[in-house]
Amino acid sequence: MKSDQHPERFWNPYLAGIALGLVLLASFLIMGRGLGASGAANRIGVTLVNSVAPQHVDESPVMAVMKEDGAHPLDDWLVFEIFGAFLGGAVGAYSAGRMKLQIIKGPRSTNTKRLLLAILGGILMGLAARLSRGCTSGQALSGGALLSVGSWAFMFSVFGGGYALAYWLKKEWL
Amino acid sequence: MIFPFDSLVSEHREAGLLMAVLLGFGFGFVLERAGFGRATKLAAQFYFYDMTVFKVMFGAIVTAMLGLVIFSQLGWVELKSLADAASSSTFLIPMVVGGFVLGLGFIIGGYCPGTSIVAAASGNLDGLIAFAGVIVGTWIYSEIYPWISHFHNSNDLGHIYLYEILHLPAPLVAFLVTAMALGCFFGAEKLEAVFKKKLNISSSYDVPMEKINTPQNRKFAFTLLGSSAVLGIILLALPKTTVDANWKTQEISSEQLAMKILEKPWSIRILDLRKKESCASQRIPGAECTPIETLKALNLFEDTSRVDLVLVLDESQEQRSKSITTAIRGYAGKVLFLNNGFEGWKQYALQPPTHPGTFADAHAIASYQVRSAIHTMVTGSKQAPPPAPRTIPAGSGESRKKGSGCSS
Repeated sequence: MKSDQHPERFWNPYLAGIALGLVLLASFLIMGRGLGASGAANRIGVTLVNSVAPQHVDESPVMAVMKEDGAHPLDDWLVFEIFGAFLGGAVGAYSAGRMKLQIIKGPRSTNTKRLLLAILGGILMGLAARLSRGCTSGQALSGGALLSVGSWAFMFSVFGGGYALAYWLKKEWL
Repeated sequence: MIFPFDSLVSEHREAGLLMAVLLGFGFGFVLERAGFGRATKLAAQFYFYDMTVFKVMFGAIVTAMLGLVIFSQLGWVELKSLADAASSSTFLIPMVVGGFVLGLGFIIGGYCPGTSIVAAASGNLDGLIAFAGVIVGTWIYSEIYPWISHFHNSNDLGHIYLYEILHLPAPLVAFLVTAMALGCFFGAEKLEAVFKKKLNISSSYDVPMEKINTPQNRKFAFTLLGSSAVLGIILLALPKTTVDANWKTQEISSEQLAMKILEKPWSIRILDLRKKESCASQRIPGAECTPIETLKALNLFEDTSRVDLVLVLDESQEQRSKSITTAIRGYAGKVLFLNNGFEGWKQYALQPPTHPGTFADAHAIASYQVRSAIHTMVTGSKQAPPPAPRTIPAGSGESRKKGSGCSS
């Protein structure tokens, strides 16, 4: 395994984009669907809530649908896909010498601030992904390749939101 | 049509799930190697000094888009039905609002949901926490759903695509998108150079991006994408060998339908599109009463069972009406229109059939048997027994087709 010499040695972004596009294309051609992530997060959440309060899940129309006909919320293509993504990320990181227990943050941030903002950002994205029927992987990437109007509108809005707030978060990242 | 492989969704679902892991592996691996397991690189996009997010995202979109367009022109995949099945409706305002909020979450948290998984897999705790946040966020949404369901479902424009609203063929739109992306890539390079200097960033990477982002690599990527786009346009000239496959419908006669109902009712799904009262008072055994206005809400494109769909219309309804064509688009199985609609069925099933006589051929006798079985099923009455035979050819005698059992 490569040592920790070049933790910042990444692929050429254009080639990486083409590679990602080929994976996405394969998914369309083989499975008739694109990639995704937030849908799996939703199912994991339902599974966790179900383990402590199953009747509550049954009472919620949007959550109960995942248990319809005795199905298990985790028995879903997307869940298996992000499991694969986790493996792929791990193998990629390890083989590039980037596997390390750490907290990535900007030079002027602190660990606490970073983690608090991470969870806040995650919550916002969870809410947003539900509303948009997908996140950057499912909606922007997959829907965008299909030239869906909603996906392109979503994608521009994502960049809009990021750039809108960037100035006020300079201390976290620069 | 070769792609996609529908069996991976139905009969061979386990193989489909294995494929999910493999595709996911490729997804996660590429994201990691692009550097998206690290929040600082992702956030850099919004400070212009590292536009990798933009390059990878648009590179991927353009690549997949061109691949689909080229395959579609070659007749190997049907672009619109694949797209209808693989994408959600356009809920325009929710998606714009959701996108903006996701962007906020992105710059605050440093990851998007997919990259947070890759980050967590690399050992980055901030990624793990971000993903936990995504889980919590999706759960909160479920809890508040009753209050926002109206907004959630608002502005549903259905499945609409850029080539539809621009009234241009898909390969041409793909070409224009590619051209725009390549132009933006050049712009991104300039922005990066300007802001790297402005923010004094060049020292943050121990392997300078200039070594990775070489002109040769760039040229290769741009040439590949550019020529694929041109290829797509060239293929426009090819006669499309497949008929507009959204319209893979045929007709089914009343007799054929009756045979299916008697022998394998599970292999079909009968939708009666007439007015609800008409359907309620008199319908085909096993038919669902789905007036034409409700057809869209059935979300047929999500039905992966691939059973044959039989649509029953009355005389005033048009097979090629917009409500029907849009509702059945993307349906994975065959769509069959009942020949002569419900009127034809009434004549077939509700008049008692007459026995063709003992010297009729086996086929005519079989048809009679099917028809009288259906008649029995539908009216609950028995017809007169066939005329007494002078000899006893095989196949005559009382019609006792076992059809009264499992209807619907």
